[in-house]
Amino acid sequence: MRPTAVGTPVDRADARSKVTGTACYTVDVVLPDLAHAVVVQSTVPTGRIVRIDAAAAERAPGVLGVLSHANTPSLAEVPTFPQGPAGQRRPPLQDDTVNFDGEHLAVVVADTLHHAAQAAALIDVAYDREEAVTTLEAGDELPPSGIFGEAPDSVRGDPEAALARAEVRLDATYTTPTEHHHPLEPGATVAAWDGGRLTLYDSTQWVSGVRDAVAMTLGMATDQVRVVSPFVGGAFGSKAMVWPHVVLAALAARHVGRPVKLVLSRAQMFTSLGYRSPTVQRLSLGARQDGTLTAIVHAVTQQTSVFEEFVAGAGYISRSLYACPNVAVRHRLVRVNAPTPTVMRAPGEAVGSFALESALDELAAQSGVDPVALRLRNFAEDEPQEGLAWSSNALRECYQVGAERFGWERRTTEPRSMREGRHLVGWGMASATYGVHSEAAAARVRICADGRILVTSGTQDLGTGTYTTMVQVAADALGVPVERVTAALGDTDLPPAPHSGGSQTAASVGPAVWSAALDACSKVLALAEQGDSYAEILTRHGIEFVEGRGDARPGASASRFAMRSFGAHFAEVQVDPELGEVRLTRFCGVFGAGRILNPKTARSQMIGGIVGGTGMALTERTVTDRRLGRVVSPNLSGYAVPTHADIPWIDVCFIDEHDPHVNALGVKGIGEVAIVGVAAAIANAVHHATGRRIRDLPITPQTLL
Amino acid sequence: MTVARPRTLAEALGALEATPDAHLLAGGTDFMVEVNFGHRRPTDIVALRRVVELQGHEHADGHVTLGAMLTYAEIEADLAEDFPALAAAGRTVGSPQIRNAGTIGGNVGTASPAGDTLPLLVALDAEVDLAGPEGTRTVALDEFITGPKRTDRRPGEIITRVRVPRVTGPQQFLKIGTRNAMVISIACLALVLDLDARRVRCGLGSVGPRPLRPRAAEDFLSGEIDWDGPRAAPGAVRRFAELVAEACTPITDQRGTAEYRRHAAGVLARRAVERSLQS
Ligand SMILES: Cc1cc2nc3c(=O)[nH]c(=O)nc-3n(C[C@H](O)[C@H](O)[C@H](O)COP(=O)(O)OP(=O)(O)OC[C@H]3O[C@@H](n4cnc5c(N)ncnc54)[C@H](O)[C@@H]3O)c2cc1C
Repeated sequence: MRPTAVGTPVDRADARSKVTGTACYTVDVVLPDLAHAVVVQSTVPTGRIVRIDAAAAERAPGVLGVLSHANTPSLAEVPTFPQGPAGQRRPPLQDDTVNFDGEHLAVVVADTLHHAAQAAALIDVAYDREEAVTTLEAGDELPPSGIFGEAPDSVRGDPEAALARAEVRLDATYTTPTEHHHPLEPGATVAAWDGGRLTLYDSTQWVSGVRDAVAMTLGMATDQVRVVSPFVGGAFGSKAMVWPHVVLAALAARHVGRPVKLVLSRAQMFTSLGYRSPTVQRLSLGARQDGTLTAIVHAVTQQTSVFEEFVAGAGYISRSLYACPNVAVRHRLVRVNAPTPTVMRAPGEAVGSFALESALDELAAQSGVDPVALRLRNFAEDEPQEGLAWSSNALRECYQVGAERFGWERRTTEPRSMREGRHLVGWGMASATYGVHSEAAAARVRICADGRILVTSGTQDLGTGTYTTMVQVAADALGVPVERVTAALGDTDLPPAPHSGGSQTAASVGPAVWSAALDACSKVLALAEQGDSYAEILTRHGIEFVEGRGDARPGASASRFAMRSFGAHFAEVQVDPELGEVRLTRFCGVFGAGRILNPKTARSQMIGGIVGGTGMALTERTVTDRRLGRVVSPNLSGYAVPTHADIPWIDVCFIDEHDPHVNALGVKGIGEVAIVGVAAAIANAVHHATGRRIRDLPITPQTLL
Repeated sequence: MTVARPRTLAEALGALEATPDAHLLAGGTDFMVEVNFGHRRPTDIVALRRVVELQGHEHADGHVTLGAMLTYAEIEADLAEDFPALAAAGRTVGSPQIRNAGTIGGNVGTASPAGDTLPLLVALDAEVDLAGPEGTRTVALDEFITGPKRTDRRPGEIITRVRVPRVTGPQQFLKIGTRNAMVISIACLALVLDLDARRVRCGLGSVGPRPLRPRAAEDFLSGEIDWDGPRAAPGAVRRFAELVAEACTPITDQRGTAEYRRHAAGVLARRAVERSLQS
């Protein structure tokens, strides 16, 4: 490929439609005769439903029907990730048990949203309440059965002996709170039946996952369900799996015999699409006096719901980031009367890196080694857990380039030694890493007689830029300008593609689009004489279009090489010493993440990840009332994500990296590595500014006084 | 649900008489939140947006009257000279959309302990003009707000204007929150050095059940300032800050602890005085 489009900052293909409002998100879908559904949720954390009185709701104006466990058919369980697409295995409205506050107990359908909401408030539920475990601290620790197919515990070398012998030793506990994704567009589904066929418009990261889950739950053939999701208003993991409201929309539409729209409220977003589990992470480091790591023990406790298991591998990052001969990782779970947690941007790594990269900073301070030098000293020449060679690893360049751009050499060593007016200034850094993932994907590329090119794949664009980058890939494969290429995505009628998570969309779908384009090209070339354009050839042969198909699957390299993206974050904070207010004033993130298809959309991804990490560090936390097991202030005032006024200009830089092993395009994936380490870099900067080591996120003003 | 859209005060009062349980709607930035949270279920609404008597601001002798429908955007643009601290407070409210819609009458009507205009208004001894079935009356704002989200508004009454005395001297507004925009105060403070009356005026928000006037602190510092400067000894400023902190009766909630709020009020008090003395 002689790239002319790939690697250039092409404008977003969907930019105009989004800023002019013509892009149709699920919440915008309107169908003839559309009815509206509102979900009724439990108000106790555990117990039994003694009675659901829906009589008043059923009589209320405009009401078309009410579903509860009393009149819902029995539904099949769908396995949760990675065995299946369900976010919550337990299907809704099946029995009288309540397992968490905010569980869906009923759904009310009416002619207008207003009527449905009014009637929903009339549903009267009586409970037999039972004793609840409402916090992680209150329950018993259990070993999980597995983490995405991996063992929850692992040991290499002899960490205990190495710790006992260590010249420098650090033991510390770090905690992170419950965090919610809060995409702009809430969970939303529109369901329309046509006889036995069901069409779902859904805000999802995985159209075929929704199709499979709903077909399975309702006992339908997969080809009787179509899922459409051309635009998704953000997700961050909350829409990677299929949650009960999707099935409820389908059931409600069947119940009332009309298409039904179900949009979750912002408050319901706190209990309906999963969340990032809180973590308690005990970390022990052993090192030589010069900072060379000799042992890491990383023990993580997280929560899951009382009825099923979800766990993110927060400790795994400690196995693969640094060269260290003795490493033990342990994961434990506590069952809590709360919804099942789920993936959230860099599940595992985002929180695990807070502990590991804070601890590295503590080790740097204890051993008197500069934080960047300490990390360079512990650089892993090969992947340390499996011993495989890296397919590529630009981590050293990330440190060097980042340190240079940030001006790291001007950092004074002592905490509280840099000031700006009345503010204490602190500089901190941290490493980032995230695995390269990909799954089988398919795409079609159509070359039309009028010269236009159409790319299709049943993948999704979550706002990440898939429309744009897939157009670029096809344009280069065919040697045409990007203006001639359009893409259609987000529909199960299109060639199948995997879920858009794990930063795998570009790495999975990109190669499929590439080979589909080459396939189409070769079909046209078979008809060609020299010098002809695609349009001329097809027109001369009276052919309307030629279509190529591409299937891509992860190659055999995965067993020969370890594949990860890497990065380094550098943060500057100013702290008001009297009020404890922390302001992020400068940030630089440098990444080695393979081929960057589009530096403009990629930069946006990195900025988004860094902003997410800033929220994690300073403001974001879901608070649960211990007595009620209920989220306090379930709104965007109570859950504070950063605003523009909280974020400085962010310097993003990509290392030019050519990785021949990851896939045909050399793409590693970027969406998640961006957030890994950000919270630690900021906490480390806060330590440098104030001398205070904050091990519990978020770092609110009062924690610094 | 009925919505009345009167154009005059008389029409508005008439609409209230016709539907006595009606809710008054100004910019809706508090009201609609309560509706969305299910705390209110309005059946009748009287929308005040077009009522001419509630618009704009007017200079009268010794004070400025602010129409209840004056928005934050208007306060920022038009009142920065008369009341710099009010404009500063307005600038910290919500986002541009909220500042285009939200009004001073709504801030007073809601009477939240965290209402950001209220500390300055109480510090300046502002008064509230009300019109109702029994005629009009004027009440000191400090008395009008009786508790958290509680006022002495009587059935059928409309806040028409807020009368704010003009005071010569530096003004400050300082606010702390969990982030830099779109944020409810953890603590906020307005301070005015009333050069003519030789009096320190101070108002506090989010540190008690209603906006507070730390009178003992004001009295103390008023006596300590050399008004010809104005200058004050650092020890006096520190003592003022302690007295302000002592005047607070904060609670602990999700945004901040009582101790932090009290501490922060003291820090803000000291900074506000220091800035006023410099300027
Ligand atoms: C996203 C967001 C951010 C916000 N940020 C802030 C902030 O930073 N600081 C802050 O102080 N507030 C903030 N608020 C709250 C709100 O914007 C203010 O309190 C605003 O002043 C309310 O004015 P309004 O015109 O919207 O009032 P409305 O919501 O229309 O009315 C509020 C109440 O006052 C009553 N009322 C209104 N006008 C009159 C009248 N003339 N006579 C009698 N009663 C009346 C209404 O009946 C109602 O009870 C925020 C709100 C939102 C939604």
